[in-house]
Amino acid sequence: MTERKTGIYLCGGCGIGEAIDVAALEGVAKKEFKLDSKTHACLCGDDGVAMIRADLEAGINQVAIAACSSRVMTDRFGFEPIQVLRADLREKVIWSHPANHEDTQALAEDSVRMVLTMATKVKAPEPYVEGEWSSRILVMGGGVTGLAAAAQAAALGHEVLLLERSDRLGGRALDSSKRLPHRPPYAQPAANDIGDLVASVTGNAKITARLGCTVTQTSGMPGRFVVNLSDGSVETVGAIVVATGWRPYDASKLGHLGYGASPDVVTGVELEGMLKAGKVTRKSNGAPVKSVAFVQCAGSRDPDHLPYCSSICCATSLKQALELIEAEPATNAYVVYEEMRTPGVMEELYRTAQAAGVIFMKGKVKTVGADLTVTVADELIGEDIPLAGLDMVVLATGMVPNSTNTDAPSPAEGAEQLAGDIDPEVPFPVAGYCGDAPAAHAKRPQAAPEGGSLLNLQYRQGPHLPVLHDGFADSHYICFPYETRRTGIYTAGPVRRPMDWAEAAEDASGAVLKAVQAVRSASAGAALHPRVGDLSFPKINLNQCTKCKRCTVECPFGAIDEDEQTYPIVNATRCRRCGTCMGACPVRTISFDNYSVDMLSSMIKAVKVPDEFSGKPRILIMACENDAIPALDMAGIKRNQWSAHVRILPVRCLGSVSLLCISDALSVGYDGVMMMGCKPGDDYQCHFVKGSAMAAERLSKVGETLKSMMLEPERVTQAEASIADADRLPKVIDAFVEQITAIGFNPFKGF
Amino acid sequence: MNAPSPTPTKKYDLSFARWVYDNIDGGDRMALCMQCGTCSGSCPIGTQMDHGPRKLFMMIRAGMKEAVLTSNTLWNCVSCYNCVVRCPRKVPVAYILHDLATVAVREGYAEARNSDNARFAKAFWWSAAKYGRTDERLVTGKYYFSFGIGEGYKRGMANLPIAMGMIKTKRMHLGMPHKCSNTGELHKILAKAAEIEARDHGKQG
Amino acid sequence: MTDKQPRSRTIMVVGGGIAGITAAVEAAEAGYDVVMVEKSPTLGGRVAQMNRYFPKLCHPTCGLEINYQRIKKSKRISLFTLSTVAAVKGSAGAYTVTVKTEPRFVKTNCTACGDCGQAAESEIADPFNYGMKTVKAAYLPHTMAFPMRYVVAPEVAKTPEGERIKAACKIGAIDLDDQGSSFELEVGAIVWATGWKPYPAENLTAYRWADLPNVITNVEMERLASPDGPTQGRIVRPSDGAVPKKVALIQCAGSRDLNHLAYCSRICCLASMKHAAYVREQVAEAEVDVYYIDLRAHDKLESFMRRLKADPQVRFVKSKPSRVEPGEGGNPTVCGENTLTREVYARAYDLVVLATGMQASVSEDGRLAGSYDDYGFVFTEGETIGAGVASGPLDVSMSVQSATAAACKAIQVVSGVRG
Repeated sequence: MTERKTGIYLCGGCGIGEAIDVAALEGVAKKEFKLDSKTHACLCGDDGVAMIRADLEAGINQVAIAACSSRVMTDRFGFEPIQVLRADLREKVIWSHPANHEDTQALAEDSVRMVLTMATKVKAPEPYVEGEWSSRILVMGGGVTGLAAAAQAAALGHEVLLLERSDRLGGRALDSSKRLPHRPPYAQPAANDIGDLVASVTGNAKITARLGCTVTQTSGMPGRFVVNLSDGSVETVGAIVVATGWRPYDASKLGHLGYGASPDVVTGVELEGMLKAGKVTRKSNGAPVKSVAFVQCAGSRDPDHLPYCSSICCATSLKQALELIEAEPATNAYVVYEEMRTPGVMEELYRTAQAAGVIFMKGKVKTVGADLTVTVADELIGEDIPLAGLDMVVLATGMVPNSTNTDAPSPAEGAEQLAGDIDPEVPFPVAGYCGDAPAAHAKRPQAAPEGGSLLNLQYRQGPHLPVLHDGFADSHYICFPYETRRTGIYTAGPVRRPMDWAEAAEDASGAVLKAVQAVRSASAGAALHPRVGDLSFPKINLNQCTKCKRCTVECPFGAIDEDEQTYPIVNATRCRRCGTCMGACPVRTISFDNYSVDMLSSMIKAVKVPDEFSGKPRILIMACENDAIPALDMAGIKRNQWSAHVRILPVRCLGSVSLLCISDALSVGYDGVMMMGCKPGDDYQCHFVKGSAMAAERLSKVGETLKSMMLEPERVTQAEASIADADRLPKVIDAFVEQITAIGFNPFKGF
Repeated sequence: MNAPSPTPTKKYDLSFARWVYDNIDGGDRMALCMQCGTCSGSCPIGTQMDHGPRKLFMMIRAGMKEAVLTSNTLWNCVSCYNCVVRCPRKVPVAYILHDLATVAVREGYAEARNSDNARFAKAFWWSAAKYGRTDERLVTGKYYFSFGIGEGYKRGMANLPIAMGMIKTKRMHLGMPHKCSNTGELHKILAKAAEIEARDHGKQG
Repeated sequence: MTDKQPRSRTIMVVGGGIAGITAAVEAAEAGYDVVMVEKSPTLGGRVAQMNRYFPKLCHPTCGLEINYQRIKKSKRISLFTLSTVAAVKGSAGAYTVTVKTEPRFVKTNCTACGDCGQAAESEIADPFNYGMKTVKAAYLPHTMAFPMRYVVAPEVAKTPEGERIKAACKIGAIDLDDQGSSFELEVGAIVWATGWKPYPAENLTAYRWADLPNVITNVEMERLASPDGPTQGRIVRPSDGAVPKKVALIQCAGSRDLNHLAYCSRICCLASMKHAAYVREQVAEAEVDVYYIDLRAHDKLESFMRRLKADPQVRFVKSKPSRVEPGEGGNPTVCGENTLTREVYARAYDLVVLATGMQASVSEDGRLAGSYDDYGFVFTEGETIGAGVASGPLDVSMSVQSATAAACKAIQVVSGVRG
């Protein structure tokens, strides 16, 4: 490696020069680090940037800047591929602390010490690029979503391996009559054009379709997943799009809605098949259907069956009613509903159905007789009304996601990996919907979806693709709907969320773009969301590894497996670079090129801890850079003030904080330590799923250790921070400083 | 003569609803009612209606013909048109109520014949058809005495102070009744209209 | 679509809300150059003006922060703020787009130090807070503004105050002679992510938004509840600042109404339930009534509704209120018919929130996208690519999905292939 030459630049602009003694900071660099630094009155200006560029020309290979927050001026201070380290003297120093005060000056000097210490502990990351990479995309499922995904992936220039479990391409659309409206003016059912989609795929040279074929085993990582198929072949692909679709809810469980009482009580899917065949007759006697009742929410929105709304049943029943009326205008069609859900422009279809004479009854079905009399507790009339003389009752059964392989038995292990998200049965704690109030409830045990795993992932953390509480393989995040907990594997269509044909096709495009990014990033050794482009990855020094397996268990993305001797193996491209493994490791054997326990501990120790005679406590805040740091920046922008006795150390995620960092801090005399990060728990806000939860779990075990060290457990705490807490966090900090001051100084101070 | 509306044999027999869609002024738009309640909530005398238009429409769909045509909702409409203006599905609510009221009378529902509003409407129409004008004294007189001589006298006397006040402020005049200039032509026009109405309804019914 | 190779491989994204940002970032991260054109001085659009998202009750700025980090890391995205598309010539693969930029009067070297804001004396209506408060005439749009640069209001630019603002800037970042500009860009594909605007509440005359101070809209409620809003997040009655004890949330204020918006705006039901949660979180004794036609809580959002229904102080009333009237002390009285009980009610509230729907804002741009539906939403077809609410009423997650798909389509256009 070439010799490290760090250029150090201090900015006096934006009032920094007026609020603190910048020359003294130069002194810190010179005296304590034997390094020369340059100060500029406006470092981000053209002159300042030119000065840095000149030094880069002259041979410096690392830049340390003490100016504003690392969240701003990234373009001005971007000197790629040179690594730029930033110390914030503006937002989190002069804007949030009194000017020309010795404590503010001390804070600024410590900021410089921390960044200069960091400079000695990091190196420019060398990406993981070993081996061969595949850019081929595996699409599982040959229905609307899968076909659209295959076509889109091919259009982006990628080879596609398309698997379909059945012996034909087209999925459920093949057995469907018309489509829901998807073009302006959205008023009428549209033609079923699945044939065109199938043809575009079968005629595409980039797409290889295998029918009657499923995945039996998946190993490897993004860029080179090794997939064993049921036909005995083994294929290598770069990324996977899961488009396994849905199945109707098992109507045999809907006896209370009359299913089984008469052959003329059918499901929406059965009616769809009859419409497709062009002949809708009574199954009992072949007579024509002149009067039909659609029963909505058959299974859906029912805690005993499917707790969620299947989203498309309302519109589908309307479409079917319209098709029946089109074929025979005298048809009586009734829709028994609780809430008519035709969101967006689908409202047009509702109006069309009304205009066509479909009768809507709001209420619940009480009984369905063998003679097909449906008794409805009609809420608008206010009576129980028997609907007699029906020829057919159609149960609009909900959608069940094919997030498992129902042809395979449920595996014994890994079911706990499926659990996630908010328990829909748990009410909000009153007067504590959000904000600080913890979710004060026990989690309802979640039954694992029946069936085996779709991909049979050969991951340490089990074979399943994690799903949310409702069984759909969706993202927990609102802003990032394609983020699953298995990197490089994306879900699309109704396996992700109940959706109709047009939306599923669109969803396929989105998932394919994510898959394409995954294969392109993998071969470059670059991280995916949320640390996009990060070239660092965890390296494990196996010589010191105790095989405790904490890293393999705690990784939120299942990136670390174990070898035959149970040593951890990092699958670099599965990794999202949160550092939870690093925080988990009890013996500091895991580190990144530019991020390590050693780096954090050294930065902690670089701070000058005043002795107890100064009367000034020193408190460490390890703050998550995703939400807590921006919130503190914004507190600075708003000129909110907080105690100058705290030292803030940004971390990638609270999950990356090792307890060793805390013990190091306490051993060098810090009086208190606060971990500040995102909300843990089922309703997590953590960008790395369970980093902050892991931090909380580790911290829960610290109390005993502290007591054994004769330290008060209250000296170490975790504070929940959201990005909107610019006004709250300064108060949280000050309250903690007060609490620590009340406890008294750390007895280890000065040892 | 108009074909009578069909009488459903059970709830949600659609024969009556379909007849309403086809034969009532604005009935086709009634199919679009989504039961939001804007009409009944907008009605200035909504509290004095037994069902209100929204529920009445649902009852039509439910085939509750008897209850619909005997409902006071048909007669209590004051034609303020708030419902028509506000209906999010542009259902001409007031028109539908008026036309249903006509049906109720035509099909001989006692409630329709005997309701206050029906008597008043009859008196109003008598004056308008005869003179081309509605004269306050003739309309109120005709209306009051439709209850019988004694009752008519009682009602008339009870409202005398109001009448005096109106005369004083020139809201009601003494002397010959108002009349349009050519009542003969008017009667011819009305006869023709009745003929057309009977023919067209006959066609559809 | 022609078979000829595209002349430009750059993708233009019009609109910098959550959909535009997503389309830009996703395309850039797949390796394509992107030009973003945003009408306002900052990215973030409508979501930046929201307090929280349903159903997680998390903060929109959290996702924006990640996206801004992605933009900062990507070297492929160029951004033009205060800019709109004035004209589009050419066809897919070779568009010439005329971009018009309004003056910011602040140059790119601005460090957001705030000296100009200190120097400014006059105040203007704060667009970020829908005019519910004022800001200094030299202002940072908000603390999460991206780019993090000040704006000088045109009202003061040519005044002596403007000169004082200019003089206050130590690094000469104020340019009072900024005329704005108009320039042409060559791009291969255009993604229209022009978003939405709230349906004008003044059109809903029966609901009296224009003259009753305690009748507000759902977007105003978001600002009221936001920690960086006009009341620092305290939900209060606008007339007197009192804490509201009885709150009415009126659904379909404009939506599902042939006199206003014929379609359902999809998000309002859930947004109102979120507002009920805001109120209940802040005011323990508050009672909230949600007036609705149909509660449209699709997919897992159903659980959010169920959790609110478990709260005895939140009541759902199936009724589209017919009108709002001034009651005692000028407080709003909501009138209508409860369609399940037949009760004709007139109930007094401290605060009434109208769930006004979403209207496409693209029509203002002169319908340059080419293909639209009858409501003014962009219809993705042929060369036209819509994303997010510009293409129809969607929630945030669906907008992101739509925008990711739009990026996928745009990439195909600039790569000369078509799915």
